[in-house]
Amino acid sequence: MGKPLIMVSSITYAMKGKSVLAQMGIRSDIVRTPSDSRNSSCGYSLFVPKKTDEAQKILEENGINVVGRAEKGSAP
Amino acid sequence: MIYLDNSATTFPKPRIVMNAVNNAMVNFGANPGRGGHKLALRASQLMFDARSAVMRFFKARDENSVIFTGNCTHACNMVLKGILKSGDHAVVSCLEHNAVMRPLEKLSHNGVTYTAAAVYPGDNDRTLDSFRKAINRNTKLIFCTQASNVWGIRLPVERITALAHQYGIPVAVDAAQSAGVVDIDLADSGIDFLCCAGHKGLYGPMGTGLLIFNTDISLDTIVEGGTGSNSYSLEQPEILPDRFESGTQNLPGIAGLKAGVEFVMRRRTDNIFSSEMNHMQYLYDNLMRIKGVKLYTARPDKFYCVPVLSFNIDGADSETVSSLLDDFGIAVRAGLHCAPRAHEFMGTLDGGVVRISPSIYTTRGDIDHVILSVSKIAYNLSKR
Repeated sequence: MGKPLIMVSSITYAMKGKSVLAQMGIRSDIVRTPSDSRNSSCGYSLFVPKKTDEAQKILEENGINVVGRAEKGSAP
Repeated sequence: MIYLDNSATTFPKPRIVMNAVNNAMVNFGANPGRGGHKLALRASQLMFDARSAVMRFFKARDENSVIFTGNCTHACNMVLKGILKSGDHAVVSCLEHNAVMRPLEKLSHNGVTYTAAAVYPGDNDRTLDSFRKAINRNTKLIFCTQASNVWGIRLPVERITALAHQYGIPVAVDAAQSAGVVDIDLADSGIDFLCCAGHKGLYGPMGTGLLIFNTDISLDTIVEGGTGSNSYSLEQPEILPDRFESGTQNLPGIAGLKAGVEFVMRRRTDNIFSSEMNHMQYLYDNLMRIKGVKLYTARPDKFYCVPVLSFNIDGADSETVSSLLDDFGIAVRAGLHCAPRAHEFMGTLDGGVVRISPSIYTTRGDIDHVILSVSKIAYNLSKR
C-alpha cells in the first residue's frame, strides 16, 4: 500500500470523495494537505489509512480530480 | 399585511429556512473551504450538502457544477461577460429583465451586438421561428428568461435550446421567476447555463443565487481572488466551483437556501405551481369583471404562464394604485419591475403596471381581499 494521503484539487472534491468512499465502505478523513509542496499549497486531501490504492481508483472512476499522493505530514 | 410581492422576494420564509440561517450563524461560524480545523470542515460540509441539495433538485451534473452567487443578476452577468467578446452577437427575448439587458448594453459599448427576438404568447411555434430568424453567423449565445417577471409569459426554453444546439450555440436561461415554481430538469432540458435567484421561488434568504453549469463550455471570470485552493498560483483555478467562487461565501445564506430547496422538494413544484396558478386564475376571472380594471394578458394558462398577474386601474397610475392597495394592507409592486423591454412589448412603458405575485403561503382569502380592495379603488377612482 502506498502513501495514505490522496490529494484532491478542491474542498468540494474532498467532500464528494469522502461521500463516495463511504458508500463503498472505505473510511476516510478530510485533512489539509501538508504544506511543504508548491503543488499542494492550501489544498485538501483524503486520509485513507486502509485500501488507499483501491480508494484512489474509486475516486478517479467517480470523476474526483486526484492530484497526487503524500505521506501524512509530508507531501511528496 | 397580505404580501403579494413574491416575485421580488418571497415572504415569509419557511420557519426551517430561518432556523437554518440561525443554526449556521451559531454552529458553523468558520470559513468554509479555508482551514483544516474541525469547525472549518463542518462549515465546508454544510456548503457541500447545500450543493448536493441543489444538484438533486435541478438534476444537475454534479456538485461541482453548482456555483453559489449573490443573486440571479450576478449569475447572469457571469455568463454574459464570461462568453461574449467584441464581434460576438447574442440573441435574447423581448421580455428580458435588466439583469440581462444592462450587462448586454454595457457589452455593446465594446463591440458586442444583440437581437431581441419577439415572443408570441400562446404561440410557441411563432416564438421559436422568431428566435431562429434572430440567429446570425456571429451568434455566440442565446440568453432568455424562462418566464417574464411582469407578465408571467413562459418561453419554450427546451425548444429554443434544441434550436440553438443545431447551430452549436449555447443557451443560458434566467430562471429568476420560474425556479421552484416550474419543474426544471437540467438532465433533460439541454439548458447550458441556468441562472437562479435563491430568495424567490426557492425560499432562501436574500443575497443568495445560483449559476449551474450543464455544459463543458468554460467561462471567463469577472471576479478573481482567493478560493482556498492552489494558493501558490496567481492564476485563477480552472476547476469548478472554485473558479467562480472567489472570496468568502455567504454560508448562513447558503444554509438557508439549502433548507429552502429542501422545503420546495418536499412540497413539490407541481403542487406549488398548481396552488399559485389557481389563485391567479381566480383573481383574473374576478378582476375582469370590475369596471375600470385593465388586464393585458389572456387568462393565465398553465402551459404558457407562471403565476404572475399585472393590471392597471383607470384614473390612476400604477404607483398610486399600489399605494392605495398598501392602505388596504396589501403589498404589491408597481412601476416597471426592472424590465422596460417587457413593458415596451405590452405598451406599458409609460406608467407601468401593478403586479401581483403569490407564494405558497397565499390563500384564497388573501385573493378575495385583493378583489374587494381593487373593486373599491376602481369605484372611488371612477367617481373623481
